[in-house]
Amino acid sequence: MNALKKLFAILALFSLAALVGCTDEAPSDLPKPGLGNVTINKYVAVGNSLAAGYQSSGLYKSAQVYSYPNLIAGQLKLAGASLGTFEQPYWPDPGNPDPKTGKAARYVIISLADPNNPVIGPKGETPTAAAPENAATLARPYDNLGLPGAPLAGFMDTVGTYQGGFGAAIIRGAGGLPKSQFRAVKALQPQLVTFWLGNNDVLGYATTGGTSPAAPTPLATFSFLYNQALDTMKKSVPNVRMIVGTIPNVTTIPFFTTIGPKVGAKLAAAGGIALYYQKKGESGVATGTTKFSSPASDPLICLTGSPYAALIGTVTGKFYKDNAFPALPAGIDTTKPFGVHPQNPWPNALTLDSAEIAIASKAVSDFNGSIATLAATHGAAVVDFNSIFTDINSNGKLIGGVKYTSAYITGGLFSLDGVHPTNRGAGVLANEIIKVMNAKFGTNVTGVDVSMLPALELPLGKYMTGDNVMPRIAPQSWDSFLKLWQN
Amino acid sequence: MKYIFTVLLVFSVSTAMFAGGFQLNEHGSRAMAQGGAWVARAYDGSAIYFNPAGLGFQKQGSVYVGTTLIMPAASFYGPTNQGQSTKNEMVSQLFTPINVYATYPVMEGLVVGIGINNPYGLGTEWPETWSGKYITQKIDLQSFFFTPTVAYQISEKLSVGVGMNYVTGAVTLKRMVSPGDAQVSLDLSGTGTGYNAGIIYKPTQDFSVGFSYRTSVKLDAEGTAKFNPTSVLFPEGDAAAALELPATAFLGAAMKVMDNLEIEADYQYVGWSSYKELKIDFKKNNSSTISPKNYEDAFILRVGGEYTMDALQIRFGYQFDKNPVTDRYTEPLLPDADRNGINIGAGYKINESLSVDVSYMFLKFAERTVNNTEVQFDGVYQSSANLFGVNFGYNF
Repeated sequence: MNALKKLFAILALFSLAALVGCTDEAPSDLPKPGLGNVTINKYVAVGNSLAAGYQSSGLYKSAQVYSYPNLIAGQLKLAGASLGTFEQPYWPDPGNPDPKTGKAARYVIISLADPNNPVIGPKGETPTAAAPENAATLARPYDNLGLPGAPLAGFMDTVGTYQGGFGAAIIRGAGGLPKSQFRAVKALQPQLVTFWLGNNDVLGYATTGGTSPAAPTPLATFSFLYNQALDTMKKSVPNVRMIVGTIPNVTTIPFFTTIGPKVGAKLAAAGGIALYYQKKGESGVATGTTKFSSPASDPLICLTGSPYAALIGTVTGKFYKDNAFPALPAGIDTTKPFGVHPQNPWPNALTLDSAEIAIASKAVSDFNGSIATLAATHGAAVVDFNSIFTDINSNGKLIGGVKYTSAYITGGLFSLDGVHPTNRGAGVLANEIIKVMNAKFGTNVTGVDVSMLPALELPLGKYMTGDNVMPRIAPQSWDSFLKLWQN
Repeated sequence: MKYIFTVLLVFSVSTAMFAGGFQLNEHGSRAMAQGGAWVARAYDGSAIYFNPAGLGFQKQGSVYVGTTLIMPAASFYGPTNQGQSTKNEMVSQLFTPINVYATYPVMEGLVVGIGINNPYGLGTEWPETWSGKYITQKIDLQSFFFTPTVAYQISEKLSVGVGMNYVTGAVTLKRMVSPGDAQVSLDLSGTGTGYNAGIIYKPTQDFSVGFSYRTSVKLDAEGTAKFNPTSVLFPEGDAAAALELPATAFLGAAMKVMDNLEIEADYQYVGWSSYKELKIDFKKNNSSTISPKNYEDAFILRVGGEYTMDALQIRFGYQFDKNPVTDRYTEPLLPDADRNGINIGAGYKINESLSVDVSYMFLKFAERTVNNTEVQFDGVYQSSANLFGVNFGYNF
């Protein structure tokens, strides 16, 4: 047995040696956060609702903390930027009140009692604050100057005409602080600015079916304002590095791509009947008809049409009642079946027809051409969000085993209003901006781990399945959302 | 030594064909201590696994029973494609594959036997909330091979053997799904059959060559998928998957280089290219998910030897295990990489009929950096494992 003991002693010795020898060292070729030769002590985000962290038709803290500017600020700090607190105008959950109802404006999935028609919208939550929680105590401009609803003209606006519905609360010019986004930037003297404005110069036109406003911002105006913005910013903030973003084509967002295919499927199931819809400029008898052979592209049906899509084929004047028309437009007869008769057609305000799509698309490509030229002139880096959104729309985006798409709700990137990103959508935006920043400025800022951001919560139990399923969002729920563009 | 070099030359040519994966290589402590280079000798009950022809030369009946304690460790740094360098450590687990063999010579030259072992198995578990949660949180794959075997010694120099494999397998899989952020738990089990055969030729007293082959086994597994929380969105309920355990072949040569020292070198081929995808079918909505794997054929080089001092034998070995997973399909479900294993061990004859074998292996995986992976989860994997084997033998 002596030999056996020896043997075990030898074995034990070997094992010990092996265990000691296997302590792992961290691999050397991993991303190491750093700022290169760049100093960043202040980062300011200029933008609109996308920058603000507006989600599901509302501004509320649990979503705002995942705004792309706040995510970028977090990564900048990891890379060594001494930003201090990146100040954002937080509305405590459940968020900002709808001006009309006084209840929280944000959408949630309210009911799945009928799994084929999930009801989505505000659920009557009582807001806990009428203004951002830190508005009274922060005696300087916010670092996140995202103004929901603001068009490009909002950047220099000191009066509030173009500051969207949140100018008074976020810019706080009346409280003695700089009266515009531009003046706030000048006061803060950042080394880094992300400037993503211009979406609302076409989005307001598109989301109202080309009715309100009746046209996108003219290109000449857009180019003038854009040039002015970059030029004055550069002159007033000597050390600024600017990152700008192109405008995504509106046809890539679920606000426009969700309802049309479902209406098409419904009509096909009913024997292939056609939808009668009002074309651009029409308010009475409709000339547009479609069987939705290519349902996603022409015409586009707005998500605001969701409450009416279920009524197609029924005798109803609900649209005119909901929208308080003083009288029915000439030629309209609400005793005809809705949507399938030229005299009770699918309304213009809920439709983006081919002419309107062309106008919106031209505006987008014109604006983007202008952005590219002016960014080059002023030395700004460009994030081509238009290409990024188009690519996600056609191919989806695979991250950590999950394929995200631009599908409504199930795609994971767009929140319940069909326009604004979810936390993870914001993570994707942040990473694209960081990528461009690193390439342009030689920084080594690491990205956001998108899989670790909270996902859009689906309620337990039943959920929509199949092609005929249509989300139903009550007409009045859109007030707060559409008001973004109606200043 | 001339023979050895010839054999090695043959091996180096055939390495152009390209085991790793979820194959387990420990099926007896005597073999394990020698890097698994055992096909040309197969002196004990583990011949049922390595080469059934080995039984033909065994004059006594035997029972050979053992287990291996496998303690793997792995870290993932990433996901680098999301700019992360976070270290994620795999949850520590202990695996204990078993091996049980019984043999009996029914008449001169004819030996029958039966074996039970776990040639394929896998277990990885990562923290529940980690970044790769949509790819895997936990997988546990087990297989049991029941192998009735018969061997016949044709002459002093030549023996052949065949076996049939009745296989039971079970897999448990847990991960998150999106949209919905629910956890899916999949429990599947099934059975399959396969065959194996081998030959050993001993041209001289001091030299032997061996070859064995095991067919692939198709496991048709059925079970259930559970989602927490559940939703009509999810294919809750009956699920099924077909999993093919790859074919494998051993070729080796052994030589008595001194009176009390034997050495062997083996080449093992593993037909992993049969593992193209993992397709899970769900009864609900007739839906299915397909995860492409596209494994490549792989091989293991094994060398080892045994030095005898009366009742004590000292053993040593080395193995190189070429992994079948290409960079693109490397994922935390099976963080594979080329492996180098160093083995030592010993055997002790307690008396004429009783013996004990112990073995130890340190298995080091090459550090693996992967980019642009199929699941878009890139980063650096570091893995290693400690393995302890023990077997008891009883001859009668």
